[in-house]
Amino acid sequence: MTDSKYFTTTKKGEIFELKAELNSDKKEKKKEAVKKVIASMTVGKDVSALFPDVVNCMQTDNLELKKLVYLYLMNYAKSQPDMAIMAVNTFVKDCEDLNPLIRALAVRTMGCIRVDKITEYLCEPLRKCLKDEDPYVRKTAAVCVAKLHDINAQLVEDQGFLDTLKDLISDSNPMVVANAVAALSEIAESHPNSNLLDLNPQTINKLLTALNECTEWGQIFILDCLANYTPRDDRESQSICERVTPRLSHANSAVVLSAVKVLMKFMEMLPKDLDYYGTLLKKLAPPLVTLLSAEPELQYVALRNINLIVQRRPEILKHEMKVFFVKYNDPIYVKLEKLDIMIRLASQANIAQVLAELKEYATEVDVDFVRKAVRAIGRCAIKVEQSAERCVSTLLDLIQTKVNYVVQEAIVVIKDIFRKYPNKYESVIATLCEHLESLDEPEARAAMIWIVGEYAERIDNADELLESFLEGFHDESTQVQLQLLTAIVKLFLKKPTETQELVQQVLSLATQDSDNPDLRDRGYIYWRLLSTDPVAAKEVVLAEKPLISEETDLIEPTLLEELICHIGTLASVYHKPPSAFVEGSRGVQHKRLAGSAGSGESVESPDTGSAAGVSEAPPAVIPSQGDLLGDLLNLDLTPPTATGPPPAAAPGMQLGAMDLLGGGLDSLLGGDIGGSPAMGAGFGAPPAAMPASFNAPVSGGLDDLFDLGGGVGMTMGSYTPPKTVWLPAMKAKGLEISGVFVRRSGVIQMEMTLSNKAMSVMSDFAIQFNRNSFGLAPAGPLQILTPLSPNQTIEAALPLSTVGPVMKMEPLNNLQVAVKNNIDVFYFSCQYPISMLFLEDGKMERQVFLATWKDIPNENESQFQIKDCHLNSDAASNKLQGSNIFTIAKRTVEGQDMLYQSMKLTNGIWVLAELRVQAGNPNYTISLKCRAPEVSQCVFQNYEAVLKN
Amino acid sequence: MISQVFILSSKGDHLIYKDFRGEAGSDVINVFYEKVTALPGDQPPVVMSHGDLHFVHVRQGGLYWVATTTADSSPFSLIEFLNRLACLVQDYCGTLTEKAVQMNFALIYELLDEVVDYGYVQSMSSDVLKNFIQTEAVSPRPFSLFQLSNVGLFGAETQQSKVAPSSAASRPIQSSREQGGKSEIFVDVIERMSVVIGSNGVLMKADVEGEIKVKCYMPNCSEMRIGLNEEFSIGKSQLRGYGAAVRVDEVSFHQAVKLDEFDNNRILRLSPSQGEVKNTLSIH
Repeated sequence: MTDSKYFTTTKKGEIFELKAELNSDKKEKKKEAVKKVIASMTVGKDVSALFPDVVNCMQTDNLELKKLVYLYLMNYAKSQPDMAIMAVNTFVKDCEDLNPLIRALAVRTMGCIRVDKITEYLCEPLRKCLKDEDPYVRKTAAVCVAKLHDINAQLVEDQGFLDTLKDLISDSNPMVVANAVAALSEIAESHPNSNLLDLNPQTINKLLTALNECTEWGQIFILDCLANYTPRDDRESQSICERVTPRLSHANSAVVLSAVKVLMKFMEMLPKDLDYYGTLLKKLAPPLVTLLSAEPELQYVALRNINLIVQRRPEILKHEMKVFFVKYNDPIYVKLEKLDIMIRLASQANIAQVLAELKEYATEVDVDFVRKAVRAIGRCAIKVEQSAERCVSTLLDLIQTKVNYVVQEAIVVIKDIFRKYPNKYESVIATLCEHLESLDEPEARAAMIWIVGEYAERIDNADELLESFLEGFHDESTQVQLQLLTAIVKLFLKKPTETQELVQQVLSLATQDSDNPDLRDRGYIYWRLLSTDPVAAKEVVLAEKPLISEETDLIEPTLLEELICHIGTLASVYHKPPSAFVEGSRGVQHKRLAGSAGSGESVESPDTGSAAGVSEAPPAVIPSQGDLLGDLLNLDLTPPTATGPPPAAAPGMQLGAMDLLGGGLDSLLGGDIGGSPAMGAGFGAPPAAMPASFNAPVSGGLDDLFDLGGGVGMTMGSYTPPKTVWLPAMKAKGLEISGVFVRRSGVIQMEMTLSNKAMSVMSDFAIQFNRNSFGLAPAGPLQILTPLSPNQTIEAALPLSTVGPVMKMEPLNNLQVAVKNNIDVFYFSCQYPISMLFLEDGKMERQVFLATWKDIPNENESQFQIKDCHLNSDAASNKLQGSNIFTIAKRTVEGQDMLYQSMKLTNGIWVLAELRVQAGNPNYTISLKCRAPEVSQCVFQNYEAVLKN
Repeated sequence: MISQVFILSSKGDHLIYKDFRGEAGSDVINVFYEKVTALPGDQPPVVMSHGDLHFVHVRQGGLYWVATTTADSSPFSLIEFLNRLACLVQDYCGTLTEKAVQMNFALIYELLDEVVDYGYVQSMSSDVLKNFIQTEAVSPRPFSLFQLSNVGLFGAETQQSKVAPSSAASRPIQSSREQGGKSEIFVDVIERMSVVIGSNGVLMKADVEGEIKVKCYMPNCSEMRIGLNEEFSIGKSQLRGYGAAVRVDEVSFHQAVKLDEFDNNRILRLSPSQGEVKNTLSIH
């Protein structure tokens, strides 16, 4: 006679039968009936109709039956709230039963019945149970507070249960402490600002004491709670570490990982030269290694975590390479993770071992794994320079196996090795070409075509090879088409005589017969380049490529830092921040490592190299062919209109043009560099420099170009410096602000670019200024209407007034700004060009000028030198006028031009200037006279900035 | 925090379903089954997500043991919990099969109730749990050839009848309570060797892992002593004795094992609780 009969098929009228059995007098029969009901419940049948009958069975002293009835109640009370009230009396009575098991059972079950009406009755019994003499009841009651809080938070606060719960942290029974900590942590998460779980050295001490006596599961709650604590100094953090370390040898992997998390976090605070730091590092390795002999599921989770730890602190596991070698019976997902970690740990010391392993893996049967292994060999070559040669020879051996997918994968990888070590391993090209026919995957084909194009001069029959690919051009994937186009252009530039026809053919295929915009645009760019100036084309297409680095597959440092704080949680398995997959408030706190040293060094732009590499190109092109550049720019630029161009046009448009060009170059050059945001910034400098260098040889064709670049600025009125970074992302939890001050048609504007480099959405922006020298203040609120999502950038223009409170600053043009968003308030200070305060009506009458000049005492006069300025006096005067510095008179004495100029600040202060320009002498002399001599320095700086740009 | 726990048969039948926090409906069971069966081979199956619900599962005894959670909780504790739960069910029901789970559902619900409260794991030690668990296990009696083979020809005593049948250790721990006197202890020594030999015949790697499992059916077991070889040495510590040494890289012990005599005499003292106790030795 077994219970499985309960699962057998349902007959008609079953409910009716059960009803009869439930109301039977015999206990045994009742129990059987309730079991049947629960069996039906489990398989998903609706037995809620039996509610009253089941509840009738509740009053029994048979614990087994009681438990079954409670189980039923938990499931159906929600759907029958009115009926559930019937059970309340029994619950209240059970809470006072002599048997602690029954008391605990009643409290536990009542908490699970999520019906509002019942919770009212729950309060009294719960209060008693929280102070029960039996720890089993107390620990159950502690969790019950969390349950109740979830249903009715207000009630819990009103009844003062939170205080009782806090008292339980000091309970004598460690199990009770653990549950109280768990409950408090959960409640605290829904009230981020309350200091419910007030972690101070005393409570920490209590927790650490309970840690030693608790069950393993309780230890997990306590350790997780400890991880949220921030020690006051390194001594405290060391003493906590010392007391947590013994947990590392626990048999429960969850305890081990929670301990690792606490240690990884607190280690940040320890000085690295401390002996203890080294000891701790050594202690971390063995438990991580032990995790790898557990069940495959645990291994997988452990490997995902180790992957993070290895990126953050490779020194912990650097000697443990062997444990990451793949076992034949590992599931594939464990194998792939191990492979990843092997590469991260690869170094000169162990590379021979690793390569031997990888080569072995590459001959296994599992295709996915083999592919990954071949890729891994390539990554080793790129990571460990000394091993590159061995890797290449290993790859060649693998190619000789002629296993189709191995060969293809190897070719993709060899392409990367060529990129990393140019002109070193080209001798293998011949071998590669032998396998041309067998390639059928787009990635491998594209890689091979790239190799042929890149080394066309060394491959005798390069044209034949490429021609053979060209036959089926339209059947290829876009990746291959693009590569083929570039490769043939390269070939043409290297061997122009014999390949003219081929290049014609591919260009027409790309531009006329293709409807892929990428392909078409690239075709047009090449076409134009080749038809206007082959020399320039050569420089662009065959330019030196930036080297690729091994860091491409690393997790972004800020994300890594956040993930390290979440070691041993789901975030560490997904390698995503919790905000990406947990909804609501719970668990979405951004955690950061406390140590400052770590975060400082970790954020560096990996793109600077490539950006710099590309930005060299434009200046090199300009002098040789002005028309070409004009042409190219016109291609993408709307011609500047004289009437009111849109704000921010000057830098924006130039950047846009350059960016477009850059985008093209970028793909011409590398094909896989990828348009990076840093690219735009990289072009900030050249356009600003352009007008100056073109000013001297002003000629017909170039004039247009000049107008294009500088002319926009002229009509606008003033020189606009490029935006500078005011608030780096590191200092502002991921918010980066760069900006510039400009004056446009009499209105001062602060033009800002806000970028969100954090992982969470930012909103609720507001801005405020400190008091400053000229009373600058925002004229309106900061208009950022949409929330800023991660990696998004937004432009904002803030009009300023000069009627705010005044306080003299040092330096005079210093401005302190506070920006607030939903995350925090950030402060930065910046300096504005004083020219934005120059009014449009700053032109003085000649007579007044003369009188004023004389009137201002001589001690207010200051003289400055502006060096290396090659403008003539008229050009200088024009330029300065753009910034509301007006020339009133010009005198020429002995070949020296004297310009008399005036300007008026927003607060009514006049500044008079005398600028001496001597033909042929790049050094100007300027004398400034003003009733408030403090401004002279600023005005001089402004002169310098305007004249030199 | 555990939101729900459910056990599915390999065909996807619902065997056990328990909701601890009321955060998701029972329809997710089917979602899980669809997901896990549709998973391509190279995708790690351990953690899967559906909306903001995350499934963590292990497979033991041909069953899916699944826990769900909505928060960013520790997958280690979830996996460890599921493994322990499977172990506990095996201890209580005797074997770990679909049939055994189906027959003992009331017992398993009771266990789950004691083991987890509102998603927090409370205690999984059979010592503690035996105070709370009321339901008796029902043990299936499968037809077994082994039992036939134990009967000697014409009732004669054979060599085999002196050896306990291999299925002897698979019975519920609680049933020993009323069976009374039959106090038994099973000690299993299990070794696993994995060797990788390169295609050219070179030995790439060889390692041996082993464990000693103790299964105890004594109602109140007093202390028990297991002696290991005197020459047994761990890690790089000095070799002992003169005979062929046994050297292991690493040893880990169950928490019930007392090690005070281990260093000198290589004796493990343990007072096993009912059920399975593992000492894992991994040897290279």
